[in-house]
Amino acid sequence: MIRFSNVSKRYPSMTRPAVDGLSLDVEEGQTCVFVGPSGCGKTTTLKMINRIFEPSSGKIYVNGRDALSQDQDQLRQGIGYVIQKTGLFPHYTVFENVATVPRLLGWDEKRVAVRVRELLQLVGLDPDENVSKYPRELSGGQSQRVGVARAMAADPPVMLMDEPFGAVDPITRTQLQNEFLTLQQKVRKTICFVTHDIDEAIKMGDRIAIMNNGRLVQYDTPENLLLAPADEFVAQFIGSDRSLKVLSLLPLPKVLKRQFRVVRESAELQTVRASFDRSERNRLIVEDDHSNVVGYVTRSDAEKAGSARGWNRFIKPFPATLPPEATLRDALAVMLQHDVGAVPVMESSHTFMGMVYLDDIRSYVGEAYQEREPEQTVEAPS
Amino acid sequence: MRAVRYFVNNLDRILGYTAQHVVLIVMAILIAVLVWVSVGILVRNSRRMARGVLAVASLIMSVPSVALYGILVSIPGLGLSRQSAVLALVLYAMLPIIRNVYVALNGVDPAIMEAARGMGMSTRRILWRVQLPLATPVVLAGVRVSVVMMVGIATLAVFIGERNLGVLIQQGLVRTRSDMIIVGAVIVSAFSIGIDYLFGKLERLLVSPGIRGETT
Repeated sequence: MIRFSNVSKRYPSMTRPAVDGLSLDVEEGQTCVFVGPSGCGKTTTLKMINRIFEPSSGKIYVNGRDALSQDQDQLRQGIGYVIQKTGLFPHYTVFENVATVPRLLGWDEKRVAVRVRELLQLVGLDPDENVSKYPRELSGGQSQRVGVARAMAADPPVMLMDEPFGAVDPITRTQLQNEFLTLQQKVRKTICFVTHDIDEAIKMGDRIAIMNNGRLVQYDTPENLLLAPADEFVAQFIGSDRSLKVLSLLPLPKVLKRQFRVVRESAELQTVRASFDRSERNRLIVEDDHSNVVGYVTRSDAEKAGSARGWNRFIKPFPATLPPEATLRDALAVMLQHDVGAVPVMESSHTFMGMVYLDDIRSYVGEAYQEREPEQTVEAPS
Repeated sequence: MRAVRYFVNNLDRILGYTAQHVVLIVMAILIAVLVWVSVGILVRNSRRMARGVLAVASLIMSVPSVALYGILVSIPGLGLSRQSAVLALVLYAMLPIIRNVYVALNGVDPAIMEAARGMGMSTRRILWRVQLPLATPVVLAGVRVSVVMMVGIATLAVFIGERNLGVLIQQGLVRTRSDMIIVGAVIVSAFSIGIDYLFGKLERLLVSPGIRGETT
């Protein structure tokens, strides 16, 4: 979809190239995040795609076509462009801003109007309330939403985003990131995204391109990047807490223990004890008659219980539960917060799916590292 | 009191002078806006050219108006004519208009320019749809300064044959008739105030509500 082929960019005033021999492919429908310290060439790289900067050498292909031999304005009309300071036209209303590219392309006004309203809805702005507002009447988050809507107006297959969420407060930022991820699920654009924030890169990217001094240091999935950084620079850049960060990328099902015995609340004590006899575990999950989980009972409690139904008072509710889409990071957080070594996973908050254990997380992450790290050869001291 | 009496008794003559004043200024400002805004647009991308043009404009501005009238009159083909009077006013408008056009066009937020380019707007379209609309308040301010200046300088055009409000002031001085001077001066001031009002209206008409009331 987007291909860099040995692309370099030299500025006359600089001794070393801003981008040095970059080759990289971004696949269709994927988000590629360029990340690195300031001056690493990430922004230059992004802006060479729509030729805000012209490469000094090399080729760039967008949609299989050589970007450098196309008409510049036509190329840009086919690429959505979102920048940090939004660049909304202050003298245009929200409507006119979003309508910019469709009007450039000569759409008839009726189609433009339909599209603008559709887009505002898509980015979570009420069209009726906002079409006739001017940018200065919008909050930072709203402005950036309009910026995204404007970039997507003519439905370009490719979007370039230059630190799009860099200028808003942290809360709005997280919100915009999440909205954008949901949006991208729907629209599946090919996106190049620049940020200096590694956490944002890990969150937003299908693939991350880490750059330093104009060179591509590593181009990989977030998971691989965290588990197997290519060199010392990458390891430092992603931070010493990379093993914590990777937790948010690893899904729960991998460590879920599904085999659990379940008893009904209404069961006799005999049934409960029989279940324990057939189980190695020290807990039983207790459900009500509608298969909703109400809690658990431990082996020792079941042994203490005297009468047939008296065991019910030993049922303990779970202090916390997790939804199946939670990550290992969420699981760990819940465990630390409630000081427990295991958390149940519940679908739609009452159907039991299994348990997550702290020990399993530990060994799973450890294995993930071992799989990816090259074997260290240790020389015996002579 | 004498001034009021003079005004009432000579109403026809005074209205005639005022009309002449208006005609001269309207002609001058139309030409000045057309020419100097165009020049401002032409030099917008060249700092060197802009510097040169603005240096010439400053030089012209520094020539005393009576002297400038004198110089123009001495040019064959111009002479003691309305052309000379109009040309002098147009020349005085050069600096404020070109400078404001240049500054305003180049003062557009780089993020807005980059967004416009990034969306595939042509240079010409960016000029007409983005830069000029955003520059309008500042350009208007330059034109406004020019007009106010012209109103005053136009009074001196009586020395090269104009029969406008300057006549009242000049004759008043020669004949030590303070009533004439007062009538002339008051009308000229009222004129300036009227122009201010007019430009307020013009701004509402030409400037998008999205940027109105901002100083760029």
